Amino acid sequence: MSSAADSIVINTEGLGKSYKGIKALDALNLQVPRNSIFGFLGPNGAGKSTTIKLLLGLIRPTTGRASVFGWDVQHSSVEIRKKIGYLAQDPRYYEHMTARQTVRYTARFFYSGPKNLLEARVAEMLELVGLDDKADRPIKSFSGGERQRLGIAQAQVNYPDLLILDEPAASLDPMGRHDVLEIMEKLRKYTTIFYSTHILDDVQRVSDTVAILNHGQLIAKAPIQELLSGNDGGTIYTVTLKGSTDQTQSRVASQPWVQNVSVEMQNGQTSWSVCVNDPDTAENELLRLILEDQNVVVKSFGRKVFNLEEVFLSLIEGSN
Amino acid sequence: MPANSPIDRSAVLAARQGLVPARGSGFNNILSKELGDWFSTRRWIVQTIIWLAMINGLMAFIIFVVPAMDPSEQIPREEIASQAAALYFSFSVTFGSIGMIILSQDEIIQEKQTGTAAWILSKPVSRQAFILSKVLSNLLGGLIFITVLPAAVAYIEISIATQKTQPFLPYLLGVSIILLTLFFYLTLVIMLGTFFEQRGPVLGLSFTLLFGGMIAAQFAPQLAYILPVNMQDIAAAVALSQSLPPVAISQVIFTALWCLVFLVMALWRFSRLEF
Repeated sequence: MSSAADSIVINTEGLGKSYKGIKALDALNLQVPRNSIFGFLGPNGAGKSTTIKLLLGLIRPTTGRASVFGWDVQHSSVEIRKKIGYLAQDPRYYEHMTARQTVRYTARFFYSGPKNLLEARVAEMLELVGLDDKADRPIKSFSGGERQRLGIAQAQVNYPDLLILDEPAASLDPMGRHDVLEIMEKLRKYTTIFYSTHILDDVQRVSDTVAILNHGQLIAKAPIQELLSGNDGGTIYTVTLKGSTDQTQSRVASQPWVQNVSVEMQNGQTSWSVCVNDPDTAENELLRLILEDQNVVVKSFGRKVFNLEEVFLSLIEGSN
Repeated sequence: MPANSPIDRSAVLAARQGLVPARGSGFNNILSKELGDWFSTRRWIVQTIIWLAMINGLMAFIIFVVPAMDPSEQIPREEIASQAAALYFSFSVTFGSIGMIILSQDEIIQEKQTGTAAWILSKPVSRQAFILSKVLSNLLGGLIFITVLPAAVAYIEISIATQKTQPFLPYLLGVSIILLTLFFYLTLVIMLGTFFEQRGPVLGLSFTLLFGGMIAAQFAPQLAYILPVNMQDIAAAVALSQSLPPVAISQVIFTALWCLVFLVMALWRFSRLEF
């Protein structure tokens, strides 16, 4: 296997799933790099859980194919699952079992012993998710948040090379969410994390790459910084000015590295959104160009960083 | 959660190297858990009491208590063995079949409905291992609580009633007919569980075959050659070394074949299910 292929953990080619003629997933092409935190976004029904189930072999693709660790998901599903930890969107366990029994049961699918090391690992996972004091209570008495924590524990018990999390922060309070994100950051060192979520703040905080799905189609995929700093491929600088700006505006707009300049007037000040196609030149030249005009006072200057929610909504509305 | 959870790469790798990877496709782990559900909970006590009471308790009442209460109900000595055996095998086959249907109805349906099947299948578990572990664990449960324990007690009861030890090997062969019948209904229910999403059709079709088969065979005797509708009579005849009914060999062979067919269909269907 080549080193390039080694660096890709999940690879899908035209992966699709239809139910009675309705496409739940449409020709998904996705590559998830090793040791990355890959966020998978989309509204309800976008196809996120469908994608995850296809990777796990819980459902079969209608079109295309997918591989995990270079293994085909249809032919080598059991082998793939030996290296995966998975947390379902709505985790379900045997209600009569305790948390400890559940994590132990999960661990035994991956390891046969020694018993002391297995028990130590089980205890470590329960302590990690804050369930050590409830380890021997039946799960039927657990709250939604406790079940979610248990889910995270059982997903990690086997030191997975790929952690697949479907809405990992669902049902968790803010402290719980914070802890989950912290764990994901720490796990990045030795595992790849592929997770779906609705909580955009979480994605913005921890993800390296984000893919956005809508109506079963991939509408955007990029490193998080690229997604946040660009819009339709361009970088935008926001400038707030006072004074007569017409000449300066013309001079800026005529630059070859400037795509367009949008102007807004507010409270006697002029706000520009300067879309550039050469961010490096813009970074060096734009402010100098503006300051050449002594009739203009620069009140603020900076590169626009998009909120992921803005990007997400813009892309979703665009694809609708 | 603790603020300083130790996730250190070298410690993780060291610990990981100490753990021995599990072999197989999850069969042993699931079987261990399923057997634990039978034997590590109160279930084994409940099942022991139910089957001993239902089969052996009733037998004891008819063989010992009724004649004691009414001497006119005394069974002639030369008929005790055959009547007692007929009682035992009739109770075992009928009640045992009903019990096996009821006990195994949820094995697949509940796992699908609650989502635990999807959870298990997200682990390195083959679909065949899932089904086979369910079959084997329930077969063992049926073997011990519905077959072996009541058979052992019934052997003692018959021996006491006849005041002599019954030939063991024919008795054992008769008991194996009971087990085959239970296996038939077990594999039937497991198979139906893979095809349906609700308990209703599983129970309905199973009981229709159990009772409807017996009734239908009276109107279409040919059915007795291919369905387990006379297994209690066959088992009693084998146990007492008596002449077998004409349908015996064919019925036993076809019952075994049906078990195989149901099992193969269950494995095939479950491998196609999506979760």
